[in-house]
Amino acid sequence: MNKHNGGYFRQILHIDMTSGASRTEAIDDEFIASYIGGRGFAIKLLWDNLEKNSPFDPLGPENMLVVAAGPLTGVYLPSSGKNSFASISPATGLFGDSSMGGGFGVELRQAGYDAVAVVGKAEQLSYLFIDDDRISIVPCPELKGKGNLETEGRIRDMLGDHDVRVASIGVAGENLVRFACVTSDWSRNAGRTGIGAVMGSKNLKAIAARGHRDLPVDNIDKVIEISEQAYKELGAHDMMGHWQKQGLMGVIDYANVMGILPTYNFRDTHWEKSKSINGKTMLAGHKIGNTACFGCPMCCGNINLVKEGKWAGTVTEGPEYETAAMLGSNLGVDNFASILRGNYLCDDLGLDTISTGNLIAAVIEGYEKDLLTLDDLDGKPIAWGDDDRIMELIEQIARCESIGATIALGAKGVLERWPQLSPIVLHVKGLEQSAYDCRGASSMALAYGTSDIGAHHTRAWTVGKELEMGADWGIAEKVDLVIHHQHIRSLFDMFGVCRLPWIELGFHEDFYARLYSAVVGRQYSLDDLLVKSQHMYDMTRAINCKLGATRGDDYPPARTFIPIHSGPLAGKVCNKEEYEKMLALYYEKRGWDEQGRPQIACD
Amino acid sequence: MRRKIAVVPERCSGCRVCEMACAIHRQRANNPKKARIRVTTIYPHPVVRMPVVCNQCKDAKCMSACPTDAIYRRNGVVRIRHDDCIGCHACVDACPFGAMYIHPDIDVPLKCDLCEDNGRPQCVKMCPTGAILFMPEHVFGQAHRLNNVLSYTHMKEIEYTEGGKPKRLHYADNNAAEGRDGKGGRR
Repeated sequence: MNKHNGGYFRQILHIDMTSGASRTEAIDDEFIASYIGGRGFAIKLLWDNLEKNSPFDPLGPENMLVVAAGPLTGVYLPSSGKNSFASISPATGLFGDSSMGGGFGVELRQAGYDAVAVVGKAEQLSYLFIDDDRISIVPCPELKGKGNLETEGRIRDMLGDHDVRVASIGVAGENLVRFACVTSDWSRNAGRTGIGAVMGSKNLKAIAARGHRDLPVDNIDKVIEISEQAYKELGAHDMMGHWQKQGLMGVIDYANVMGILPTYNFRDTHWEKSKSINGKTMLAGHKIGNTACFGCPMCCGNINLVKEGKWAGTVTEGPEYETAAMLGSNLGVDNFASILRGNYLCDDLGLDTISTGNLIAAVIEGYEKDLLTLDDLDGKPIAWGDDDRIMELIEQIARCESIGATIALGAKGVLERWPQLSPIVLHVKGLEQSAYDCRGASSMALAYGTSDIGAHHTRAWTVGKELEMGADWGIAEKVDLVIHHQHIRSLFDMFGVCRLPWIELGFHEDFYARLYSAVVGRQYSLDDLLVKSQHMYDMTRAINCKLGATRGDDYPPARTFIPIHSGPLAGKVCNKEEYEKMLALYYEKRGWDEQGRPQIACD
Repeated sequence: MRRKIAVVPERCSGCRVCEMACAIHRQRANNPKKARIRVTTIYPHPVVRMPVVCNQCKDAKCMSACPTDAIYRRNGVVRIRHDDCIGCHACVDACPFGAMYIHPDIDVPLKCDLCEDNGRPQCVKMCPTGAILFMPEHVFGQAHRLNNVLSYTHMKEIEYTEGGKPKRLHYADNNAAEGRDGKGGRR
């Protein structure tokens, strides 16, 4: 086995919250070569943990939380500030992970760990402090019920260091809301799959990190050469200025024109009021600053301030496209300030904005269609665009109060209590669908259906390409594109870098293979790495099979098979027969059996 | 012509590319903690992100605080003579901007020398938002000066048409001098 000279500290930190014990586990070149890092390391650690524990409760002490930056996190290259949080998801009961930007992952790596794995449950609410070699679990009952903003500040104060990085949970995570997120740098979130609830179940309020080490790089001159060229190319890109100004908010206009903007719980895919929630509206009245993740020239984060009206004084980092769509058009909210307020509340309480907007929309539509009664809503009606009631509901979800206690259980829990909502709750495997309608592009339906974590767009975002290329596209091409995305995008999470320079500014994939080779001091081609990524996808599928996933879990939400009735894609629908064919071909191309079981699940 | 670094905090996104560029070029380490420029971020009240770096002060407090005279000036750049530094960090404490840095693996404090031996400072070269400038000293304050003068003269405006298009012109109002000193503008 050739040696990897850089890229890794070669140790994984294991923490048992129950006993308070910690230990490091050394990893060798074979481990590195098989799993690369970041999400890949997490998958392997979760796999091993699952072998040891059966039966398995995602909110039990047996579940493992893995926090893993990748071998490129914090390296001198554009957009290297990413970090994976992975666990068995309490929302889906299957493999779950979410990637967070900011600076937390860099700090964790500088402390000298390639991954941190946490099991057990502390006796009382505590935070974990990783200070290079010194590991401590500090009880913090005084932080119970505190929001993310206050928590981050208080922990910095307690440690007497403003530069300590903190990843924390809000009230929602403490209350085990199934779509609670983990938040760092005040507003960067690992939003999806309920990792915040896993932290809550361990009485782990926050992880604070401080590290001083050099990140191991084999050929530093090569890294400087490749990366400075990359920064230069990105800086010269036509769209760079637009990105720095609007970030992902520019996608609102795109999605509306293309007919994929979720509107009124995905009933419509185009909104006549979309201008009231788009990037221009943000720039005209609200934006007060840019923010970026570590090393990123794109600075897609928008800092906004509500200057007047009932939410005046609200400062929030965001929204980006997902939040503006899910808390805006999808809820019929056309007041941009209300979206900012919702964004602020979700960040501070620790809720995923996508799931929050998705489920509130289902409740509004359910009430509108008499599927829910006023009694179900505890006597308080709700309607599209009713921002006061929506803000109240966001708080109730995080605090598990009133009807919020049901919504807090996520799509699965909501459907258990109100099975009549099954046609209008959009989810896959229990994870609520994110903000791209997929009826105009069946490859996107397949992407949602086959995503290992549920209906999330970052595993494969094929909708843009399919719509731009037109309708005459064979199913084989669609399946190939979904599989390619699932591999290349997973690779970004394993490296610990952001996908946006690639997908949005056309940055070449091969750059990452060259750079990774320079960092580790060993030649890898992009194809070599994609093969490893494919293996990872097989492994998460095998984990899911072990946890009970079947072919039946690989279908997009029911609404995908009902035609869109307005907008540029009116009449478009995902054809069930075509979907079945695509799914069968997808399994075949992956070498999985007709039930979607990979060979390693059957061994 | 002496130049020095000027920071425009309003443009800073907090990405820390400056830190990395500094550390990797000057310390040969992929380690933002070894940078001579650091971004300090405050959120949410007020929202500020500011790269903090040495101002090459004329009356340098770091220099007068140094008990071993290890800090000296060459070509206007304040530098540390490594052989004479005892690592007491008096300079770090004395700097009113907090622009000198300590790393546990390095005995001598980290301090910006404008990449004097390599041309333009690396942080300036790499900043993706133009928040770090390298300007001739005599240009410092010019932008503020211009803004201030313009805002003073923008006291009156007229609207007029030119080539069918509405236009607007600002002018300084002579009458504004009236009454300033109770002499009605007389000498």
